Amino acid sequence: MQLLFEQLLNGLAIGSIYALITLGLALVYGILGILHVAHAGVYAVGAYVGLWLYSLSGTLLLAIPGSMIVCAALGVAIERFVYFPLLKYPPYVPLISSIALFLGLEEVCRIVAGPDLLTFPAHLPFPSFTVGGVFVSSTLTAVYSVTAIVLVFLWFVTTKTEFGLAMRAASQDMEVASSLGVDSQRVVDATFVIGSAIAALAGILVGIYYNQVYPTMGAMPAYKTLALIVVGGMGSAPGAVLASILLGLGETLLIGFANIPMPRDALAFIAMIVVLMWKPTGLLGRK
Amino acid sequence: MDYLVNVAIVISIQAIAACGLNVIVGYAGQISLGHAAFFGIGAYASAMLTTKAGLTFWGALPLVLLIAAILGFLLGLPSLRVKEDFLAITTIGINFIVEAVFLYTPFFGKALGIGGIPRIYVFGQRLNNQMLLGLCLFFLALTLLICWRFTRTWAGLSCFAVRENETAASSMGISPVRAKLSAFVIGTVFAGLAGALYAHYVRFISAGDFGFPVSISMMSMVVLGGMGTLWGPLLGAVILGILPEVFRPLIDYRMFLYSLLLLLMIRFQPGGLLGEHSFVRTAFRGLTGKEKGGVAGV
Amino acid sequence: MSPVSDVILSVKNLSVHFGGLKAVDDVSFEMSRGEILGLIGPNGAGKTTCFNAISGVYNPTLGDVVLDGRRTNGTPPHGMAALGVGRTFQIVHPFTGLSVRDNVIVPLGGARYRGNFLRSFGSWRDKKIAAEAEKILDTVGLLDQADRKAGLLPIGNLRRLEIARALALRPRLLLLDESFSGLRHAEIAQIEALVRGIRAGGVAVLLIEHNMKVAMTLSDRVVVLDHGRKLAEGLPDDVSSNPDVIEAYLGKGESGRVA
Repeated sequence: MQLLFEQLLNGLAIGSIYALITLGLALVYGILGILHVAHAGVYAVGAYVGLWLYSLSGTLLLAIPGSMIVCAALGVAIERFVYFPLLKYPPYVPLISSIALFLGLEEVCRIVAGPDLLTFPAHLPFPSFTVGGVFVSSTLTAVYSVTAIVLVFLWFVTTKTEFGLAMRAASQDMEVASSLGVDSQRVVDATFVIGSAIAALAGILVGIYYNQVYPTMGAMPAYKTLALIVVGGMGSAPGAVLASILLGLGETLLIGFANIPMPRDALAFIAMIVVLMWKPTGLLGRK
Repeated sequence: MDYLVNVAIVISIQAIAACGLNVIVGYAGQISLGHAAFFGIGAYASAMLTTKAGLTFWGALPLVLLIAAILGFLLGLPSLRVKEDFLAITTIGINFIVEAVFLYTPFFGKALGIGGIPRIYVFGQRLNNQMLLGLCLFFLALTLLICWRFTRTWAGLSCFAVRENETAASSMGISPVRAKLSAFVIGTVFAGLAGALYAHYVRFISAGDFGFPVSISMMSMVVLGGMGTLWGPLLGAVILGILPEVFRPLIDYRMFLYSLLLLLMIRFQPGGLLGEHSFVRTAFRGLTGKEKGGVAGV
Repeated sequence: MSPVSDVILSVKNLSVHFGGLKAVDDVSFEMSRGEILGLIGPNGAGKTTCFNAISGVYNPTLGDVVLDGRRTNGTPPHGMAALGVGRTFQIVHPFTGLSVRDNVIVPLGGARYRGNFLRSFGSWRDKKIAAEAEKILDTVGLLDQADRKAGLLPIGNLRRLEIARALALRPRLLLLDESFSGLRHAEIAQIEALVRGIRAGGVAVLLIEHNMKVAMTLSDRVVVLDHGRKLAEGLPDDVSSNPDVIEAYLGKGESGRVA
């Protein structure tokens, strides 16, 4: 029972991290219709930049915002120089460019920082406590708190602000929104800024959570998150979060706890195929 | 010399698989990012049939192609019913799942893979590498011939129509699912053929040979050479096959240069080297002063 | 009314709903062989949705589409094409990368796509088939453009190409969705003559038309839709003096367009 509870807590943490990465992908898909595979490259870059700034300054207070700014700039650069000029082509063109970009970012990380696994020995200033004999580490509380803050922030921005309204209008129909006076370029820029900054945060969290940063850390998230936005419903941010958390729990419980002999990383795709057969629009997708 | 022969064998095998991918992506316009799965299915099928069932390469080949076709059909059917973006993702999923099946099933040798795959015999003669290259080139020529022929069939025309405009195609009596599926199955059969040749060339295979990065490199060949063109995938396979050898001094930057090349290509010349408005084609036109009519990109 | 056997299309209590939106609501009408029926109405009246339900793009939520005595609900678009329903699109859908001739050859293959598997692997690069396509291109006046890429044609020629492709199906029923929009006066007259010629061959023509002058002069009868419902049906002259119809158009700020 206690083990189950521990696994649940771990699963929730992993699901939260998936959610942070998948959010950016869902936002970008919602607004541009592009499968932004390179987002996972931004996430890896975020971890490296965070680690580098942390080792320079010795404080996460500098490392986290610094890395978020670098990644936001990187995200906007990708959007401006790669995706925007390719919007007029069939969707596979930006998709392939995104995959190439992702592989390129992975290689840049490897060439600059070396192929080896680096440790991220930072301590997150969050409380740890024991509930019913189960120890909840400060890293776990950090992951939960950060995810909760990001989700509340995003919920607030998208539903309560004028910018959020513009964003939702643009994701419904970019041309109509533009004709109604929405500055669509600005909305798209801001989407990439928000998504990429969250990815940087996720990268740093993962680095600390597993105490490791390595060049190919984005590889699994890159493709798993694609399955997650399908499961959640293409372009639905709440769906992406729900799917991510369910997957985190599912992976930990089915494979870690129930010991089902199945490759952990294939579960996302199996879930995707099941969902597509049962409800092709995804869990929370609109038609 | 032997080194060059080995490079040429690998290039011709990859070119066969890339031509198959081109039927799916180039002719029917359906993005598949899991082609390596079918390459692997062909390789494993041939390896199992020859090592476990005791068949010869030639005895196994028809079965291998049939297995590739049936699995292509079964996996293609649900994937092709969904929207374009979903297809890219489901095919990635197929690749990961198929790789996991090879890696986790004892029947397929798990992480150890399958070794001791026999060489190919022709008329009782065991093929050395030069002869194997000849055989691969023969199959490559056959592949190109079939692809060329396919562009002239009604099935091929229905694929072009679906690629150009699915709504219009279906209002003209073409079933889009059927057209896509026919292209998908033809593509997977070529992947299966390439896989079988690969298995008997390296004679030891494991799941990692058929992972998602292999799918990406096949896609790169098609994109680089020119989607939907007859010779593009071959050109792409040759270039991407030779580049690593040329870049050998830069081995550490190889993957980086690869991805940069792919990115620049798709960003500035999405049609590929032999595509409609590419600089190569424009230059060629300038030389011959001729404009070719007919179906786009053929 | 014409005798029952002469009815080619009968739309019975057709409704198409999207969630809560009733795009088409309980619409019924019939068409006879060789008749030109105009389907008119203000923007958003449900005309194109009605077309899409007849041509198999949407499955009716309620009601039936009956073609030549056969209920066709649920038949996909390619199945409807096989049953002899040809259509054009308001937003033209050319196969941009194919030549004009090849655009027309695509629908000529109809039986071969559906026929046995091996037949679909026969060649379409055939002189007889090219000649057949060129004959159809000649009737719509596009023969001189046969070798051009369809993507390079101006809108007027694209509208002709749409009609040519629909004709290549040898339809019993032809659905024309705003085939006159974006055309110059001279072109409109040509296409009008073309449509009359098609009808003379026994094909029933159902047309959606925004240009009232064209709709009223070309149609034998018209059906008026408004907000998804049938507002009026009858001879062009009767309909255009119908106060409800005038009201519907005036209400939409379209005064003066009802001839």
